[in-house]
Amino acid sequence: MGRGRRLYGLSAVLAALGLAGFALVLGSLLKSGLPILTWHFLTSSGPGGIGPEILNTAVLCAIALVVTVPLGLMVAVYQGEYLRRRSRRVRELDHLRATLMSAPTIVVALVIYRVAVGWWHWPVSLMTGALALAVINWPFMVAVSRSALASVPDSYREASLALGASRFETVIKVVIPAALGNLIEGIGMSLARLAGESAALIVTAGVNVSQHWSLWGPGETLAVHIWYIRTEGLVSGRDAEAAATGLTLMIGISVVLWLASRAARLFGRSQGGYDGA
Amino acid sequence: MEPKLRVENLSVWYQRQPALKHVTLSVEEGEVLALIGPSGCGKSTFLRTLNRLSEEQVGVRVTGSILLGDLDIHQPQVDVTQIRRRIGMVFQAPNPFPFSIFDNVAYGPRLQGAADPAALRKIVEQSLRQAALWDEVRGKLRRPALALSGGQQQRLCIARALAVNPEVLLMDEPTASLDPLSTAKIEELVGALRGQYTIVMVTHNLRQAARVSDRTAFFLDGTLVEVGPTRQIFTAPQDSRTEQYLTGRFES
Repeated sequence: MGRGRRLYGLSAVLAALGLAGFALVLGSLLKSGLPILTWHFLTSSGPGGIGPEILNTAVLCAIALVVTVPLGLMVAVYQGEYLRRRSRRVRELDHLRATLMSAPTIVVALVIYRVAVGWWHWPVSLMTGALALAVINWPFMVAVSRSALASVPDSYREASLALGASRFETVIKVVIPAALGNLIEGIGMSLARLAGESAALIVTAGVNVSQHWSLWGPGETLAVHIWYIRTEGLVSGRDAEAAATGLTLMIGISVVLWLASRAARLFGRSQGGYDGA
Repeated sequence: MEPKLRVENLSVWYQRQPALKHVTLSVEEGEVLALIGPSGCGKSTFLRTLNRLSEEQVGVRVTGSILLGDLDIHQPQVDVTQIRRRIGMVFQAPNPFPFSIFDNVAYGPRLQGAADPAALRKIVEQSLRQAALWDEVRGKLRRPALALSGGQQQRLCIARALAVNPEVLLMDEPTASLDPLSTAKIEELVGALRGQYTIVMVTHNLRQAARVSDRTAFFLDGTLVEVGPTRQIFTAPQDSRTEQYLTGRFES
């Protein structure tokens, strides 16, 4: 009892400290960023505006997700639903994936830079950045999908198989619909993680925005913008601009996470994606 | 009359561990056959071999033959999905999908390509009536199946199995997780389905076997000790081990 109380007290103090730290950051961001966070700031380009950066962040995350969600899901389905015996090769692949997941993103990005820019002669651009984000995200996406699929009880699979469904039909019609809530939540989390990525994109997508927007043009994102104006920026009021950009990013990520958890709850009590009478 | 299922010299191994040894047993059309025996005696393995669900596990080896009519279902060229449509299964714990009541029952027919809403509705209603659940869920078919009580969920699973119009129904301790009232309803239902379907039912509950089955088979250590009319097994077993089990001298 005494020990439990002490642990409870400790965790309460730590939680309060964490919250206080967060409040401090948020407070200082709000204090210096909020005054200049206007519609004009969000939509215009050039100094004093982050319109292109918002667009670039959205586009980069979207491309990376469009590539990695199906890919990650496919790998997870193959490993979790088809390979029932864990062979040595699979374990090696898993090991590789874990290594890739824990590698610093800047390292991954430098490899991508070497391959895409050095060998294929891609420009430093949104496309190269998207490729880097996809490579960074896919091991994470596999892990998220694996755990979402693993949360579906085996009894659902057995029931489906016993009704004459093939393994594929079981995955498509029962396992994935039943895992949809967790999948959406995981996708939201990886989206939040990608939106905050900076180091990898400095190398691959660049630190400026082009006058003529294109997938093959440079594509600075919000997170990179913060880094850039804080370290290289020569504009006056750069602290305020960085704070306002940070606020925008935080609000954006919060909205994404909130939407994802709402959608997850909606699909958690899934109707199975069926229409029906 | 030809038996519905004829099992001949069936042996099953998990890895190198034998789970069933040389079982030979026939199931007559329309009867209720109860499988009894202590835990780990192989009765569940036997049941899961009848619809080839056992082979979904890693390292299972099966020898011998299981004839459904004149089709040996364990031949590799036999389509396992066809077998499972003809031999339905109800599990120990109710396992409805996290979909609506309607979509649960319609799952099997839809797999077979039924798409016409009117026809589907008819199949769903008929299956739910057969499973004695219709009166409790009519007008609520869009509700999530998981909101039903445990006993209702199990009857829903029976309806789901019946919706593909199987010939044989396998039941793996279908009342093990249910309260006495729900258990009584399931037993009543099994009585009502007798004759229309051939039912093979594993049970831990000896009274249940005595109440619902026409014949009873007693398994011990992976072998079939004895099979016969339920009344005879319970009153005048031929093998002393059966008698010992029935009088509670084995752990069950």
